[in-house]
Amino acid sequence: MDLTLHVNGRPETFSAPPNELLVERLRDGLGLTGTKVGCDTGQCGTCVVRLDGKSVKSCLVLTAAAAGSEVTTIEGVTTRGGELTGLQEALRQEHGTQCGFCTPGMVMALGELVDDAEGKDAPTEPEIREWLTGNLCRCTGYHSVVRGVQRACAASAQAAAQVTAPAGQEG
Amino acid sequence: MTAVTGESAVTQEATQTSQARTPREHTVLGLPLDIREDPRLLRGEAMYVGDIDLPRTAHMAILGSPVAHARILSIETKAAEQLPGVLKVATAADFPDVMPLPCIWIPGGVESHFPPHPYGLPGARPVLTGDTVRHVGDAIAVVVAETARQATAALAAIAVEYEPLPVVTRADEALAPGAPRLHEAVPGNLNAYWTCGDKERTDAAIAAAEVTVELDLVNQRTINSPMEPRGAVGDYDATTGEYTLYASTQGPHNHRFLLSALVLGIPFNKLRVIAPTVGGSFGTKGYLYPDMALVLLLSKALGRPVKWVDTRTGLMNSTVQGRDHRQHVTLAGTRDGRITAVRCTSHANLGAYPSTIGPGVATALMGRSISGMYEIPAAFCEVYAVFTNTVPLGAQRGSGRAEAAFLMERLVDRYAREIGMDPAEVRRRNLVPKDRFPYDNGLGWTYDSGDYLPNLDRALELSGYADMPARKAEARTRGKRLGVGLATYVAVCGVGPSTRMSKEGMLGGTWESANIRVHPTGEVTVTVGSASTGQSHGTVFAQVAADELGIDPEQVQVLEGDTRKAPYGQGTYGSRSYSMAGPAVALTARKIKDKLVKAGAVLLGLPEEQVVYAGGRVHERGDEENGKTFSELAMALWYGWGLPPEIEPALDETTHFDPPEFNYPFGSHVAVVEVDELTGETEVVAYTAVDDAGNIGNPRIVHGQIEGSIVHGLGQALMEAAEYDENGILVSRDLGHYALPRAADVPFFTLDKTVTPSPHNPLGAKGAGEIATVPPAAAVVNAVVDALSDLGVRHIDMPLTPEKVWRLLRGGDR
Repeated sequence: MDLTLHVNGRPETFSAPPNELLVERLRDGLGLTGTKVGCDTGQCGTCVVRLDGKSVKSCLVLTAAAAGSEVTTIEGVTTRGGELTGLQEALRQEHGTQCGFCTPGMVMALGELVDDAEGKDAPTEPEIREWLTGNLCRCTGYHSVVRGVQRACAASAQAAAQVTAPAGQEG
Repeated sequence: MTAVTGESAVTQEATQTSQARTPREHTVLGLPLDIREDPRLLRGEAMYVGDIDLPRTAHMAILGSPVAHARILSIETKAAEQLPGVLKVATAADFPDVMPLPCIWIPGGVESHFPPHPYGLPGARPVLTGDTVRHVGDAIAVVVAETARQATAALAAIAVEYEPLPVVTRADEALAPGAPRLHEAVPGNLNAYWTCGDKERTDAAIAAAEVTVELDLVNQRTINSPMEPRGAVGDYDATTGEYTLYASTQGPHNHRFLLSALVLGIPFNKLRVIAPTVGGSFGTKGYLYPDMALVLLLSKALGRPVKWVDTRTGLMNSTVQGRDHRQHVTLAGTRDGRITAVRCTSHANLGAYPSTIGPGVATALMGRSISGMYEIPAAFCEVYAVFTNTVPLGAQRGSGRAEAAFLMERLVDRYAREIGMDPAEVRRRNLVPKDRFPYDNGLGWTYDSGDYLPNLDRALELSGYADMPARKAEARTRGKRLGVGLATYVAVCGVGPSTRMSKEGMLGGTWESANIRVHPTGEVTVTVGSASTGQSHGTVFAQVAADELGIDPEQVQVLEGDTRKAPYGQGTYGSRSYSMAGPAVALTARKIKDKLVKAGAVLLGLPEEQVVYAGGRVHERGDEENGKTFSELAMALWYGWGLPPEIEPALDETTHFDPPEFNYPFGSHVAVVEVDELTGETEVVAYTAVDDAGNIGNPRIVHGQIEGSIVHGLGQALMEAAEYDENGILVSRDLGHYALPRAADVPFFTLDKTVTPSPHNPLGAKGAGEIATVPPAAAVVNAVVDALSDLGVRHIDMPLTPEKVWRLLRGGDR
């Protein structure tokens, strides 16, 4: 069956078998290997991408069910070799990676949390940990990732404050 | 010398305290520099095995046995061969010349029984089993097809007829008379009966003791579960006869050696092994597996690259598992808190086959470690290493040492309770004093250096140990039982001295190497034989080289993981890379410096003794202006003009580092838990760890490893277990059935360190990567037993599931 996905802002039209999983289309069909497969059963979160803005586990979504949707993968977050986003930069500063296999899925899942936090109170530590329960990591024990999210939220709150502060009142 | 530092390891500057062997200023070593690997990982650009896509790649799937023990009567593959996309179906009969995967770490000094290998080595599992399956997941056949889906689908069309055989999954039961026998060559399923220490003296001390305590412990089988399942791509080049293997491996050189010489029987120089980015390992990816040989054989047979990537369930059923000891342990002591003896009898479950190094892990690595931080006059450990119908046993983060610390630290707590003394005080009274190093622990290890008391006291202080009674009372007002548990450890690391390891039964050297090549333009390439599985080698080895050479780490590139490019080395395991490859890098940099001084003297027209190397320059002693920079010297040596005959052109040096002894990091951990009276749920509410890994290269890296290691240990204590049913079926076959700690299961930890350099390497380094996995299981079980002690609870087997604790809270069997 022919269908179209909008992947990282580009339309992709292809024919997919009805039982194909979104993660298979992304990795094998479109060569977007930043999305990882860690468990096949929706437990580990290494395959998280964003579907119409919401983070989903792409091993649990049929390609056909995503037809017509906007899909954002880790490749759509930054350009190759390019600058890091605020979240990625915060994770870098806290060394929120080790082997890096869970990292793209974490960035995609946490991106939604950090983006949603803009303009609101930053998520608390328990909220961040709760959000992260969908993503397994065996190297870091999550601490550096949680600190990274806290850092990213603090940085974006600071940036927002600077933008909204009336002229002449900074400092 | 030991320095206790107050800051967290991440933020503090290097605490390079008075290391007498290298009395000089460090410029970049010991600093928490940014991790250069991180941006690529954060952008999802790193290349793991599963991401490799060579032209014309075919895909392999492996048929694993669905039963734990059976004779294979027939295998019918014709139907599978007819399916769409299928290129080849192969069984053991297709590879008559392939040898079994050998075991290279047998228990040293005792009679061992193994299935045979043609070279007279201890074998080994067959690459594909043709006659008997011995565990669920045992590899029987493979399919290669155009796509991975087609290959997997075709597995279902292979018809295998089995004659069931009786199953045994527990080590103690496999030793019983009449138990099912796994291997013809192994009478009674006993691979080895191994001992260390002094049995007579220990038995006598226990018989004469004022106090003895005993425990029966199950150190349950666990699954390391790196997030990346294993994978392999084989690529045979018919024009050169050369094989390339891309694999998720911890030791590309080691795998090259074992596969070429001992399995495939091809010349060493015809096999290249490449470890791309590896998505975690924790011990499991240092082993030889059938798939590594199969992708190479099938690539040759088909004339195409062949790729295999495991599933999570496949990993659970075929990648080595860890721990799995059943132990009876005894401690003897005086009424006033002096430990006089410790004894351990252990049944270790090796699984269905001897894995690459599993038998050594289950014996020496565990047994010689049981006395931990304590000075104990008499100690003895015996291990029955036994085959059963389970997945082969291998290493698991903290392997051997975690099992040892668990039994010792449980015993010390049990003893403290028996004599009515604070567990911290019992520990303080028995620590090896700092003037006793090097210290022979009587079990085979000689500890290099240590200062244990300040380390323990720092952990007690940071955890607020003295305030626990008040916190317990407060918790009870909330329906919680608060418990506190201590655990200390010494972890043998830095494997290691090759001759010493040979006495432990290791078949092969365990040294490490590094090459440094200085380019004409002044940039530097460091190549190491080790290979990262997430330990940021590229950052820390650049720091070592830059520090020695007095140059900017940005000038230094680090390569590893490709046997065609890197010097030999044994790989990353047992927390050895920094204390093995690190010194190799440092010593190589010193060779480079020596040559720069010689060449600099020639170029400056000065006698050598008039020339010094400092700050990345060679200059005249007493006249810093009269000198040459690193880059100028590099270019001059590249041209090679005007050099005397004793100085070769170019700068390219290699060192093979084989230390005189192991190194022995140590530490003290304190777990504070709250047990919910209603639900039996255990929450770790605070965790304090003070670890000592000697001099640290990059505290940011080590800090992260320690945090992750503790969570790994908490996982074993609270939730992880590889469960087999009575038929030998692995019930915990995926991440829905095998629980791993998630972010909400742990609090932030309080971490600190002490620094006691090792005298056995020029960096003063000790192992770090997995050491903090060694004590948490003991600390948490001690804490939960503490929380329930007024109910008469003396021990609880791991994992401490809410159900198990709930039953105890309601008067269950104590």
